[in-house]
Amino acid sequence: MKRAALRLALALGACLAATAAFAHPHVWVSVRSQIAFTPDGKIASLAHDWVFDEMYSSFATQGLAKPGQLVTRDIFAPLAQENAGGLAQIGYFTTLKINGKSVDFGPVTDYWMEERPDHLVTFHVVLPLKTPVAPGRYFSLLVADPEYFIDFEFDDKDPIALVSAPSGCTASIAKPKPLEGEDPKTLSESFFTGLAPGMNFGFKMASRVIVACP
Amino acid sequence: MTRPSLIRRLGFGLASALFALMAAAPALAQFVRRPFEVGGGEGGGGASGGLTGWLLAEQSQLTHVMVAQVKALHGDPAALWGLVGLGFAYGVFHAAGPGHGKAVIASYMMANDRALKRGVVLAFLAAMLQGLAAVALVGGAALIFNATAAQMNRAADLMALASYLGIIAIGAWLAWTKGRALVAALGALRRRRAAIAGGTLYEGAPWRAAPTSNGATAFRAHAPGEEAIDPADCGHAHAVDAAALGAGFSWRGAAATVVAAGSRPCSGAILMLVFAFAQGLFAAGVAATFAMSLGTAVTTGALAWAAVFAKALAMRFAAGEDTRVALAARGVEFVAALLVLAFGLALLMGAQAGA
Repeated sequence: MKRAALRLALALGACLAATAAFAHPHVWVSVRSQIAFTPDGKIASLAHDWVFDEMYSSFATQGLAKPGQLVTRDIFAPLAQENAGGLAQIGYFTTLKINGKSVDFGPVTDYWMEERPDHLVTFHVVLPLKTPVAPGRYFSLLVADPEYFIDFEFDDKDPIALVSAPSGCTASIAKPKPLEGEDPKTLSESFFTGLAPGMNFGFKMASRVIVACP
Repeated sequence: MTRPSLIRRLGFGLASALFALMAAAPALAQFVRRPFEVGGGEGGGGASGGLTGWLLAEQSQLTHVMVAQVKALHGDPAALWGLVGLGFAYGVFHAAGPGHGKAVIASYMMANDRALKRGVVLAFLAAMLQGLAAVALVGGAALIFNATAAQMNRAADLMALASYLGIIAIGAWLAWTKGRALVAALGALRRRRAAIAGGTLYEGAPWRAAPTSNGATAFRAHAPGEEAIDPADCGHAHAVDAAALGAGFSWRGAAATVVAAGSRPCSGAILMLVFAFAQGLFAAGVAATFAMSLGTAVTTGALAWAAVFAKALAMRFAAGEDTRVALAARGVEFVAALLVLAFGLALLMGAQAGA
């Protein structure tokens, strides 16, 4: 009986703890990214094109244009500025790692938002690296919201483009590790690190782009 | 004994902290906004994470299906039933969100009451008010003023701020009254121990009676509030009774809790309503929103029930010595009161930090 009470108390505690720690996506974004290189083969900048889901798109366009008209970049300018301005403080939703080290981005150089003919909203932003970095043998790009309010997914058709990359560099998408098919030890490990309430859950749910260079 | 003055000092500290917070309110109204955020800072509970990947996947799926269902309404009015059903399911899952007042209601019930019906009614009212807040916000802003996303966000910020400050105020008030009751119960236990130790049965026992000439009795004389435990109240109770479990429930306090927990519209409802409005189907969005509220009420009600049940169970195990029961009850209530306060502060800090 006492054990039952303890179990109940634990369950209740877990519920309350989970309440504070639980976030789930409200906004969905399809990501296309361009990685641009300098003439001497270093990574210079990233350009993101983020296409938002129907719900967020109707929220963002609400009240901005006359019925039947699309919201132009001009009309969207204040909202684009607000969103682009807030990017630095949350790490640009972007992690670029070379040899396991995250590179720093400088202030955004170009950004706009517009409503496409299919009424979905696109956000475009350019993130220059603070200093261009050599790509090494390979590097990885992660686009994710650590709080998982926004669910970023790389676009199915056209997720990544390399602009003036050194010849031989290729990009591929790595989906988040599924839990099935791993050995029991890793399974329990990833259960605790991946699914237990904790920080950076969004990172664990995100796909990665891996670029390999010769 | 310094207990009465300690209590007074504690109360003064709480009151002045609250006052400082209220004074700072205008400056707080501008929340730090994360890019592409919707509404009053949802997800601003501080930490982030997930209960299970399955739950997250389920919710994402539900949202996408709901969007499809709204669009299906154009040709098929019967799709409304599906939409309402999906909204209900979404609410059940979604109530785990930090701003849903679930924890606040549960903690409030733990601090105050054992009546399950009241807990469920409070949960229901808070959820409905939250739905109403979203409908009022989007209905007023989009329908009447043709407001933009930025303007709706600012309005939602204000509603969220009011909600957080309300939760903090309720938590502080609860902590104050329950803290006093806890100190009184401690005093009662000490007096009882002293009386027993003073008796012949325990003569020569290694522990001696604490001096009782001042302290608890003096405290009672200074704090005649209805929360103070008179030994006559619980001294003869053999079973756990309502007085020992739920002293001081008031509908006024309950109403304040409902308003504080429910006055912040949730992002999911705002998005659904604006989307339905853009599709020319605002009424369907309203129906879906209240279905979500009903689902939220189910989860919140379940937790309120669990809170009351857990407390009753704890009381049963503490049973045996009535003063100890009272002490355990006051202890649980005080911790629950602190939880309400902590939730309010965490929500406010989360919104301020933009975390």
